[in-house]
Amino acid sequence: MLIPRRVKHRKQHHPKRTGMAKGGTKLSFGDYGIQAVEPAYVTNRQIESARIAMTRHIKRGGKVWINIYPDRPLTKKPAETRMGSGKGSPEWWIANVKPGRVMFELSGVPEPIAREALRRAMHKLPMKCRFVSREGSDF
Amino acid sequence: MSSEVKIQAEPRTEFGKGAARRIRRQAKVPAVLYGHGNNPVHISLPGHELMLALKTANALLSVQLNGKSQLALPKQVQRDPIKGFIEHADLIVVSRGEKVTVEVPVVLVGEADPDALVTLEHATVALEAEATHIPESVEVDIEGAVAGTQILAKDLKLTEGSTLSLDEEALVVNLVAAPTAEDIEAELAEAEADLGVEHDEPTSETESDETTEDDGAPEAGEGDSGTPGQE
Repeated sequence: MLIPRRVKHRKQHHPKRTGMAKGGTKLSFGDYGIQAVEPAYVTNRQIESARIAMTRHIKRGGKVWINIYPDRPLTKKPAETRMGSGKGSPEWWIANVKPGRVMFELSGVPEPIAREALRRAMHKLPMKCRFVSREGSDF
Repeated sequence: MSSEVKIQAEPRTEFGKGAARRIRRQAKVPAVLYGHGNNPVHISLPGHELMLALKTANALLSVQLNGKSQLALPKQVQRDPIKGFIEHADLIVVSRGEKVTVEVPVVLVGEADPDALVTLEHATVALEAEATHIPESVEVDIEGAVAGTQILAKDLKLTEGSTLSLDEEALVVNLVAAPTAEDIEAELAEAEADLGVEHDEPTSETESDETTEDDGAPEAGEGDSGTPGQE
């Protein structure tokens, strides 16, 4: 799973969820991809789960790129604890994904297989996504 | 080779986001035309015509402004990442016969060897070509190519009149050996073990050797729990 090796601050504020993706909105490496349509926090478990789902479907012959990285920690206070006494302990690693961001890319497989593989991966993600392809894109 | 697309432009007199939004509400696109050492000219273009024109890479536009016609190439196009409509366009003035450097998409033709994994290292290549004779794409034939084949920029077959602006030794298409099914299965089993995914075993009588992961569900059994809240 993707986890930062070292961070400057162990506990951070929640990242902002407003706005649109500034970059990474087009396919850069592969021929097909998954684009976020809504903002969401994507955990490293969800990223890994989506990757496994698409890799299992394409079996061999395809290449997968992950364009997001879970570099923000989220904390959680233990259950049945009174409020106060400081911030909770880091619990999840998340990527702050804004609408328009291409999160996964895929190449080396025919379009029907890519479409199905990415559809399966989309079900592992916490937001509405859509399939994008290089052929259908505008220049 | 793309032909010229005639497009009617109107000069813009007011600037800023308020004015730009007013223009967009009229189904037009704010744009700027510059180049050849002239002052930039702020214009607005019809949205639908511009969208159709820019469906081809490096479309040559013939911008009709104040009764005069000027050839231009799209330099930068800003689009809404979700809806895809054009928010703004930068057009660069070109003249007939002028050599320009443009990014041309690479298109793969043919079927490579099934054991090879084709990776396009450069989806576009920079070419120097006449503004009126820009190729729409550069085709690369990979029919029957086997793993280990590398197609460099110097191996590309360019149309007459265009030269490469990219480093000749730059790798454009790379064919590597596809990983075996066993490698992928082992890697996925390891990843799933890391995630804590448990597959429903179809048979439950063998209990002796639990050390070897036997990956019993190749495709249907992806019952992984990738939900965020679970620890």
